[in-house]
Amino acid sequence: MKTEDKYLRMSANERVQHFLLLSSFIVLVITGFALKFPESFWVKGIAAVIGQNTFEARGIVHRIASVVLVMVSLYHVYYLFFTVRGKQLFKDFLPNRQDVTDFMNSMKYLIGKSDTKPLFGRFSYIEKMEYWAVVWGTFIMGITGVILWFENFFLKYVTNTGMDISSAIHYYEAILASLAIVVWHFYFIFLNPDVYPMNKAWLKGYLTREQMEHEHPLELETSEKQNTDNIKENLSEKAKDETETKNIAVSETDPDINKQ
Amino acid sequence: MIPLRRNIVVIFAISFLISLILIIADRNILSSSKDTETCLSCHEDKDLTMEKNGKKISLFVSPEHYKSSVHAGAECVDCHLNYNPDEIPHSKKNELAGCNSCHDNLKGIEKSVHNKVNCYECHSKHDVKPVRLIRENQTQSCLNCHKNKNIRKFSTSIHAKKNVGCDDCHKGGHQTAKISKNEVNEVCGKCHNKNKMAFKNSIHHTVMQGGNKNAPVCTDCHGSHDILTSKVSIESEGCLNCHLNEKLFPGEEKGSAKFVAQYKTSIHGLLRKGDSEAAGCVDCHGDHMVQTPDNPASATAKARLLETCGKCHKETVEKFKKSKHGTEYLKNSDKAPSCVTCHGEHDIKSTLLSDEFSKVNIVEKCLKCHEDGKIPHKNYQGEEELISGYRNSVHYEALKKGNLDAPTCSECHGAHEMENADNPESKISKKNVAQTCGQSNCHQDQKRDYLESVHQKGISEDNKDAPTCNSCHGNHSIVTKKSDDKLAKSKNLIKLCSNCHSSVELVERNDLPTKVSETYNESFHGLATRGGYAEVANCESCHGNHSIKPSSDTSSTINKKNLPKTCGKCHEGAAEVLFTSKIHVSDTQKDSPWVFVVTRLYMILIFGIIGFMVLHNVLDWKKKKKIKKVNED
Ligand code: HEM
Ligand code: HEM
Repeated sequence: MKTEDKYLRMSANERVQHFLLLSSFIVLVITGFALKFPESFWVKGIAAVIGQNTFEARGIVHRIASVVLVMVSLYHVYYLFFTVRGKQLFKDFLPNRQDVTDFMNSMKYLIGKSDTKPLFGRFSYIEKMEYWAVVWGTFIMGITGVILWFENFFLKYVTNTGMDISSAIHYYEAILASLAIVVWHFYFIFLNPDVYPMNKAWLKGYLTREQMEHEHPLELETSEKQNTDNIKENLSEKAKDETETKNIAVSETDPDINKQ
Repeated sequence: MIPLRRNIVVIFAISFLISLILIIADRNILSSSKDTETCLSCHEDKDLTMEKNGKKISLFVSPEHYKSSVHAGAECVDCHLNYNPDEIPHSKKNELAGCNSCHDNLKGIEKSVHNKVNCYECHSKHDVKPVRLIRENQTQSCLNCHKNKNIRKFSTSIHAKKNVGCDDCHKGGHQTAKISKNEVNEVCGKCHNKNKMAFKNSIHHTVMQGGNKNAPVCTDCHGSHDILTSKVSIESEGCLNCHLNEKLFPGEEKGSAKFVAQYKTSIHGLLRKGDSEAAGCVDCHGDHMVQTPDNPASATAKARLLETCGKCHKETVEKFKKSKHGTEYLKNSDKAPSCVTCHGEHDIKSTLLSDEFSKVNIVEKCLKCHEDGKIPHKNYQGEEELISGYRNSVHYEALKKGNLDAPTCSECHGAHEMENADNPESKISKKNVAQTCGQSNCHQDQKRDYLESVHQKGISEDNKDAPTCNSCHGNHSIVTKKSDDKLAKSKNLIKLCSNCHSSVELVERNDLPTKVSETYNESFHGLATRGGYAEVANCESCHGNHSIKPSSDTSSTINKKNLPKTCGKCHEGAAEVLFTSKIHVSDTQKDSPWVFVVTRLYMILIFGIIGFMVLHNVLDWKKKKKIKKVNED
């Protein structure tokens, strides 16, 4: 470990949002799929603990969690548009041309067509995908979920066909969302060798310098540049050089290519 | 030589003299008043009496009777010996002539019971009648002396009426004899030969041959002189006299007095008190030829019971003969029941009045044989069902609680006419089950509904797959109790309907809607039930139960017109126009193309996106690991 420096990643507010999001999401996954697979071992296990009213409890908890999820989402929208940090967050999460180039380069790098890893800013294409997938998923799940919840009301507008469609979307989107979180998000948070065993930003709020160097070199660069600008404006060029040197030093090259 | 003429004169002279002497002597006797005329001159007085030991005795002798009697030629003194006309009474010793001094050829009289009896007791004193006349009035003359109660009954007996006299049995005349027990049968048999022969084939005769002194002969049943002919009296005087005697027939086994005594409280025994029509001993056991039931010739032998009981219970026996019990019986099957198997023997009770035939108890009668029996087809849960499962049924439970409307075995199977279900005539044949369950007092409403149903349509078309009452409710162990466990009930119901509606073979054969169970199970309704939620729709909630009809029927609960009402039971918002696709979507592409499209789309998304993610991350992981290794080295 090169340094114990802390680089703020998630503010306390964001961590609470994230925590509410993840807990409601996990509860929704469990209580949702419990309906679909009533005979599976884990549902039976839960039923053995809770007893007779498992099914009703499941429905109620699913709805409570969904309310939590929707409330967090609505707050998040407010957060994005009415707080300073939120506005910046929204700006940083917006996809742009650079993400497409980054993605292309990254793919080339991963399949061995290129030996330089693209350098990411505050949010890489990976994180942006994650974020927008959650936005999309919450939106879809929310709409179809509410239709399913208030079926007596919505039946009038969507007919039984609409109910069937909602329920199909809700189910398949649930699968998609759950798998995406597990495969995409959990990989980068847990298995990713750069952060292994876990990216603790969701708990502590900061990343280490090493993690920053690996995952967000451009952000690190800008933040350090800002720091230097602020403290020693006249030394800015020197600092830039240093950063560049550092970047070169830690630039990750494919060992295979090195051998050649 | 004496000359012939002189000899003749001498002989004449002597003859004349002797005759003269004789005549004079004779005149002397007459003159001494010893002739009958002289006797009668006094004794023709009707008032002539004498006193002896303080009793007045009439000394009247009717001259007419005497003179017309066979003894008219005899003199009084021929019989009244030691007569002295000058004394009164005429003879100190009232010594009568032994009749045998004249009638010395009376054969066998010394062997007769009448050996010590004075002749005149039968022949009378002065108006002795010719034998011919005595014969004619023999019986009367017997009865003159034989006045005991038993013998007096003879006068009113059938024998008396038909002019059978004492002598016909007792020989009569001088041979009159007692009849020993051994001789009775032969004596009666002289006239009643047929009965005698029948008797010889009876158990009574057999044991008599075996030396049993108690064995009865004719008179033991018919009486000796009163000659009973009425059934009732014969039985009580005859049969029951011995067979109720516990000393003669000890124990409690069949054949014991106790066993026979059950008859008294049987319906036969009770009815006959006022009505001699009810069966008595002989009606079942036969009369002269009575035999033990183990003798195949006996009227009470198993093989002959139908004939015997059928003498009175004709219609019942005819029904029985056609029944499964009856056909087996007629095949001489050992297992087959006969009348007595259910009704008992001497203790036969009224099926209407007796507790033994009460609805609850009759079950035990049937189960005596059928306890371990199985119902020949599996029940709706695919289990084997025991016949004795009835004991767990709602029906039996209700019965035990005293609800006499609840059915027992015979309500569904019939009593004598019971038949296997595969017989189309049977009350439990597939076509008749609904009628049987829906008989008056029972499930009439359900029957009415069922008869409108598509299931019934199948039955009426002889469709073997179509269900009737028991296909769903089970047979003996019918347990459609108002169960508190709604969920279990619901699950059972679904399983039940699925039995047929998710059988590929059956669905194909009958062109039924496909995949109804699967689609239900995957629907929210099905998932909820599977998850243990009872308050959600199962098959019955939408389709109804007994009156199930296809959606094409406008009166069906699932006809599009009626869906708002049906679904509206739970979902207030339901209205006709809202049903734009099938409920049981078995073929998504055809029945609900939108769902099909969404599903396809998501399949592509899931495989595409997640596939990409997996690939991306595997590569990412490898790369990062490699770099780590290089950096560490
Ligand atoms: C136990 C489970 C989870 C853990 C440990 C976890 C951890 C984290 C961490 C450490 C970050 C910050 C990553 C970084 O930028 O360095 C993060 C971000 C985020 N998490 Fe989670 N997370 C979990 C579950 C979830 C779930 C279930 C969702 C949504 C359904 C979710 C949605 C997000 C989003 C949208 C972000 C911001 C974008 C990103 O940084 O990738 N997380 N999470
Ligand atoms: C956003 C708010 C959500 C709402 C209002 C909602 C509501 C519902 C409702 C009403 C149902 C019908 C079954 C029931 O009564 O429980 C349902 C089913 C389900 N939910 Fe959600 N849900 C939401 C989010 C989610 C999320 C995020 C997931 C998982 C990622 C999820 C997974 C499921 C699943 C798997 C089912 C079963 C679908 C089926 O087979 O019909 N739900 N949800």
